[in-house]
Amino acid sequence: MWRYLLRRLLQMVPVLLIVTFLVHGLMHAMPGDPARALVGPGESLDEEQLELIRREHNLDRPIPVQYAIWLGKAVQGDLGRSTQNQRPVVEELRTRAAVTLQFGVVAWIMAVLIAVPAGIASAVYRGRPIDYVATVLSIGGVAIPNFWLGIMAILLFGVTLGWLPTQGYVDIFEDPLEGLRYMILPAFALGITSSAIIMRQSRSAMLEVLAQDYVRTARAKGMREKAVIWRHALRNALLPVVTVFGLQTGRIFAGAVVIETLFGIPGMGQFLVQAIFMRDFLAAQGAVLLMALAVLVANLVTDVAYAWLDPRIKYDDR
Amino acid sequence: MDVMGGIRRRVAGACIAVLATAAVGEPPRYGGHLRIAYTNEPMSLDAVLGRSGGDAYYWRQIFDQLVDADPELTPRPATSLATSWEITEAPHAITFELRRGVRFHDGTPFNADAVKFNVERILDPATMATPRASMTVIDSVDVLGEHRVRLNLKRPWGAGLNMLADRGGVMNSPTAVRRLGRDYGWNPSGTGPFRVAGVVTGTAVHLVRNDDYWGVDEAGNRLPYLDEVTIRVIRDETVLVSALRTGEIDVAYLPYKDVSTFRRDRRFRIETMPGGAIAHVFAFNVAMAPLDDLRLRRAVMHAIDPRAINTAIYFDNAILADSGMWPVGAWAHEPSAARPGYDPERSRQLLRDAGKPDGFEFTAVTNNNALHIPAAEIVRAMLRRVGITMDIEVLNAGVATERFFHGRQYPLYMTGWSRYPEPDWLASLAFKSDGYYNAANLPRPDIDALVERGASFYDLAARKRTYLELNDLVLREAWFVPLIYGVTYAAAPLRVRNLDRLMGWDGKMNLREIWIADPSASEP
Repeated sequence: MWRYLLRRLLQMVPVLLIVTFLVHGLMHAMPGDPARALVGPGESLDEEQLELIRREHNLDRPIPVQYAIWLGKAVQGDLGRSTQNQRPVVEELRTRAAVTLQFGVVAWIMAVLIAVPAGIASAVYRGRPIDYVATVLSIGGVAIPNFWLGIMAILLFGVTLGWLPTQGYVDIFEDPLEGLRYMILPAFALGITSSAIIMRQSRSAMLEVLAQDYVRTARAKGMREKAVIWRHALRNALLPVVTVFGLQTGRIFAGAVVIETLFGIPGMGQFLVQAIFMRDFLAAQGAVLLMALAVLVANLVTDVAYAWLDPRIKYDDR
Repeated sequence: MDVMGGIRRRVAGACIAVLATAAVGEPPRYGGHLRIAYTNEPMSLDAVLGRSGGDAYYWRQIFDQLVDADPELTPRPATSLATSWEITEAPHAITFELRRGVRFHDGTPFNADAVKFNVERILDPATMATPRASMTVIDSVDVLGEHRVRLNLKRPWGAGLNMLADRGGVMNSPTAVRRLGRDYGWNPSGTGPFRVAGVVTGTAVHLVRNDDYWGVDEAGNRLPYLDEVTIRVIRDETVLVSALRTGEIDVAYLPYKDVSTFRRDRRFRIETMPGGAIAHVFAFNVAMAPLDDLRLRRAVMHAIDPRAINTAIYFDNAILADSGMWPVGAWAHEPSAARPGYDPERSRQLLRDAGKPDGFEFTAVTNNNALHIPAAEIVRAMLRRVGITMDIEVLNAGVATERFFHGRQYPLYMTGWSRYPEPDWLASLAFKSDGYYNAANLPRPDIDALVERGASFYDLAARKRTYLELNDLVLREAWFVPLIYGVTYAAAPLRVRNLDRLMGWDGKMNLREIWIADPSASEP
């Protein structure tokens, strides 16, 4: 197990290198003078100042050299300072990641709370109206883009009904109730696609498990249906749901880019969008590095969780 | 040279504030928490480092300038850190007498050494100060006493006092700047009415009353009146307006589309600033084909009816431009007959004269926002009527600015511009041959001479004559042609008082004299 973990951790290194190099290359491949792009519209810096910016950020050197310099500092935990607001990127990422994490976790919990019961219900009552309704809703959930759903949610719950705030964010640890109120709409918009996918997964997994011999045996023993489903079938049916968890981490980050901008949430997504618009390359690189790392770790956690959930799965140490 | 040549001019400064505005009947109340919102988060709270015009919404509350100006951009010693100044011309210099007893938020005293430190900090290229370009006329700074300081100039600086009313004249605590280094931008220490109490990145800036503030109102009451201010970032204008309506925030600038509903709503008071911005301007690259031909640029301008754009996009809440880049309300503004107005017949004639009777094609760039995109569509339809085909590229303002002015990728940029009533600022940046916002950079000694002449007078009437001449030249050559001057609309519920003091000369919010009628009710 430990050797497996070590191997997996080592495998992350080339992935991270490729991802960050690509982002680095793309940010610098945008046409125009990156030093001038740091000046806001209507403002100005003179040639002497621009020259200093170029030198400070090594913009006058070849792209691979710039990348190597960045990498050398990054491995020591120094991601530089935002070229826009001058704050250390690491510090910015820490506060922004905490926001996205809170909001991702709420989205994820909402998704699971909706999806797993719905999936089980539609498997247990297969072919009945509840199954059809859940199926139609889940297809809709996969098909509808989350930004559109977000706008509709803002219009309905924020503007027309006035029940929920539509912009901004309150730290859930400072004021849990208010924090949750701010979180509901964006978390719903973000989680709905994942919810639809998890629902489909748990439905088919449940159906498969319910057809297994041990379930038939349990039923034959005269066990009550509730106990069969909750005690025997569910744990095994959850396995594919865990798989989806790994995949959904990436989806949550991708969704956060759109949803955070829409709902004015100061998280990683909004940070990345602004960094790209402002051509704040150090901020963009740092954000992508952290997001890539999070997705890789989530996948690793998923794989480890398999072994814990299903005794048949073992990671060989040979 | 200057008509004032060699003569010393003294601008008397009153020590006690006597403001031009009429006294209000009701005595102001102290206390309360004012919540406002703005669409952009600050780039920095350090005024000289921020690279966005919107930063002023934040730093105006934290800092004072060496020279402050009234809404007409006339220097106003009563609200300035300098109580008087003397301009000399042989050699060129400005000597300031500084206000006594002023302290920075960190407790250190404001004095001549602080002025020297701040000016030298801006002039040092390594600081990356945004106002540096407008301050390089300063050669050196001499401390003449604890409260007396002289700026030695390389040449006359007619725009000087106005430049010092902007970020160039902002005074930071030298101790705090030295101590905090690069972290100073988020922990600034000024002399202004409010101190920074907390910054929630991307969400809000929280300010508290500076109990040690030197400013007083007409009646001699200590300023500011408010205990606390929160400036929230709400990026979406629709959401911002609904927050104002539901009482989540107390003051906001209105988008044009919401002005008429707020006007009808008797719970709100609206203050306006005509000419608060250049809402829509055609900036041409006069060296880029096909619009390097003056006849074709004029043909474009004559085909556009700004009235239709004002109605469709601004709901008739903006003003049709009647001159150039110095808008209504700026001291150098005068309606100009040189502005190429709506005249489609003349447009067709110019196309024939230029040998393009069937029109021509070009690609223009505009900003990715809710006003400029639909306006560009209307412009395209109007041009099609005279046979001109315009393709539109939509880009984020920062990228569009960089590609138009420096990448030289488009002959026309349809954009907006901040109100900047000191003409030298734009003249030096956009009209001078080597200007940062001169896309063509063609050698134009005649224009350079006008720009330099305008900045060399201290006499306002002489300066104005020069800038009007320059304005006519730029309009006649269809180089920068505004279509619409913006109007800034500030709205607040009736309980927010002194709203008429909210907007400074740059149209940005200044909360120094704002108070709340029921301060105890303002806690959220």
